[in-house]
Amino acid sequence: MSDINDVKNIKIDKEDFEFVQLNEDIKDEKFQGEAIGFFKDAMLRFKKNKASIVAGWIILIIIIMAIIGPSMNGYTYREQHIDWALLPPRIPGLEKLGIFDGTKVMDVKKDNLDEKYSGCVVKILDEYDIEYMGSKTSMVKAKIDIYKLKDAEDVYFWLGTDSIGRDLWTRLWRGSRISLFIGIMSVLINMFIGVVYGAVSGYYGGWVDMVMQRIIEIIGGIPSLVLIILFVMYLGAGIVPFILAMILTGWIGMSRMIRAQFYKYKGQEYVLASRTMGAKDRTLIFRHILPNAIGPIITQATLAVPGAIFTESFLSYLGLGIEAPEPSIGVLLAEGQKVLLDHPHLTLFPAIIISLLMLSFNLFGNGLRDAFDPTLRGQE
Amino acid sequence: MLRYIVQRLIAMAITLFIIISISFFIIHSMPGSIVDDPMLPEDVKLAIEDKYHLNDPLPVQYGYFLKDFLSFNFGTSIKVQPRVSVFDIIKAKLPITLQVNIFSLILTVPVGIILGIVAALKKNRAADHIISIMVILFISVPSFVFAALLQYFVAFKWGLAPILLSTDATLTWTKFKSMILPVLALSFGGIATITRYMRAELCEALNSEYMLLAKTKGLSQVQATVRHAIRNSFIPLANIIIPMFFSILGGSMVIENIFGIPGLGQLSVSSINALDHPLTIATLFFYSLISLLSILVVDLSYGIIDPRIRIGGRK
Repeated sequence: MSDINDVKNIKIDKEDFEFVQLNEDIKDEKFQGEAIGFFKDAMLRFKKNKASIVAGWIILIIIIMAIIGPSMNGYTYREQHIDWALLPPRIPGLEKLGIFDGTKVMDVKKDNLDEKYSGCVVKILDEYDIEYMGSKTSMVKAKIDIYKLKDAEDVYFWLGTDSIGRDLWTRLWRGSRISLFIGIMSVLINMFIGVVYGAVSGYYGGWVDMVMQRIIEIIGGIPSLVLIILFVMYLGAGIVPFILAMILTGWIGMSRMIRAQFYKYKGQEYVLASRTMGAKDRTLIFRHILPNAIGPIITQATLAVPGAIFTESFLSYLGLGIEAPEPSIGVLLAEGQKVLLDHPHLTLFPAIIISLLMLSFNLFGNGLRDAFDPTLRGQE
Repeated sequence: MLRYIVQRLIAMAITLFIIISISFFIIHSMPGSIVDDPMLPEDVKLAIEDKYHLNDPLPVQYGYFLKDFLSFNFGTSIKVQPRVSVFDIIKAKLPITLQVNIFSLILTVPVGIILGIVAALKKNRAADHIISIMVILFISVPSFVFAALLQYFVAFKWGLAPILLSTDATLTWTKFKSMILPVLALSFGGIATITRYMRAELCEALNSEYMLLAKTKGLSQVQATVRHAIRNSFIPLANIIIPMFFSILGGSMVIENIFGIPGLGQLSVSSINALDHPLTIATLFFYSLISLLSILVVDLSYGIIDPRIRIGGRK
């Protein structure tokens, strides 16, 4: 007992203490290099994925071309040259190599060679006879310079012209611009609605969540394609109706993902700690929980762009495309389809662009997903 | 289980009701009328409007519309096949679409499964990489681009297959040959989806504990893979094959148009373009019905295919 009472009387001066390890080195390993942040880390992983890098460049090139492409030559997207309709592609420089030289292989009557096609025949490939109604006609398969044939020797339509003589190059890039705009805008708006809706639903839970999820069930239960078709029929085709139609059901996927993220993070200690220190709901939602989902948000948004572009083209095929004379990739494809067998260039170039776009966005999105969440790698 | 099915059916009926209501109000708020011929005398016009109840207020019209719809009277087509009952038109077109779809499914499922198995077994080797490239290509490139390319190169340039679907009524050799290209164009996307799932599932199964057990009890790698891994990876696959059938049915809209297949897809395209509203509503209703049914079938099949999943949320 007396010892304990004595404790109060023990006097310890500051000088009585000494640092045991003052002069010793800490044997821990030193950190090599700098600390790497979330985005830098993701970027490092992303850079290893060659396919995604290439895809990113392709997307960038297409976007730049969609911006500057329409003004690269002197034609406008609605300027018609009825006399020069359906011309094949012709590019200065490349024409000497035998490609894009404005020629077309045609089957013509031999008699016509000297009259109608005089001076335009580049090369005769084949000669044959056909019998029709008992009479024999000699035919020639010849490579014919369409530009000369239509008195357009000095003009160059880089990708040819469509059925009323509009320049395909200009229309293609303007169409890409519109398709990309519809795709990216609808995805951005979907992302915004989905994030807010999912965040509120997931953060508050309880009956708020219940009501909001039932609403989603009802909207999501309606087949989206049917809803989109009805909506576009109602509003009439145009850029804004397309974007609105894609927003109708497009945000549901994003909101579900965000809600799941909130359920995962809202019970964690750091959120409790922040709340104890008096953080408001808004701060908790947007500062503390939402940034955890930034990777999946970016990935999902990137992967949603090709879907939107596809839907736009799909609607154009159904006859619900953007109103003439404005082009979009879907409109160009649908127009080209009508003359596919005789004038494949009208389908080929839009087909290449839309395939490249969708492929690149998918590859880019996969790369982003692997970079943000390496555990998902290899699941395609 | 029964209660769950009843609940789902009620929800489905409500959704369908919402869809037909939206369709009705959208169609009826569109400008123009079916009697827009300026040469028509006023009393004839009135008689027509009277016959179709067009001069009644909208709620009354809605009542008539619902009454007809509930007795499966979808009205008659106006422009695509005038005065033919919409129900009959759809009944006539459905077999054509089904035929192409069934062929597509017959091609898609085995090819997808085999490619998936090959990719999983040869993981990270040349075969896997080639299949992966193919998968991303097939998923990305839209089916109508494939259709156009096939039509131009295979059918037109090389003359290997007919350009359009043959008009033979029965399934003859010529008809079968002309169906190859549309079936191919429809199948690529499905093949890619199945391959991707199969590969992921099988990769997971191959690394699982039961494979180790199977090998410990003396099975060879081939035996263990065939008897245990592949079987188990089929379970989730069944759940994507059922909706795939229905999605092909929807996706064939454009393909049918390109290859001149006189099926449901082409019908809906022409009805939209011709502003044939009763037909449009009926086809859209049909597509909604099919997609809702497919979701229901998938949800119910979960429990049957994999007894580990319980339906209806009961503990």
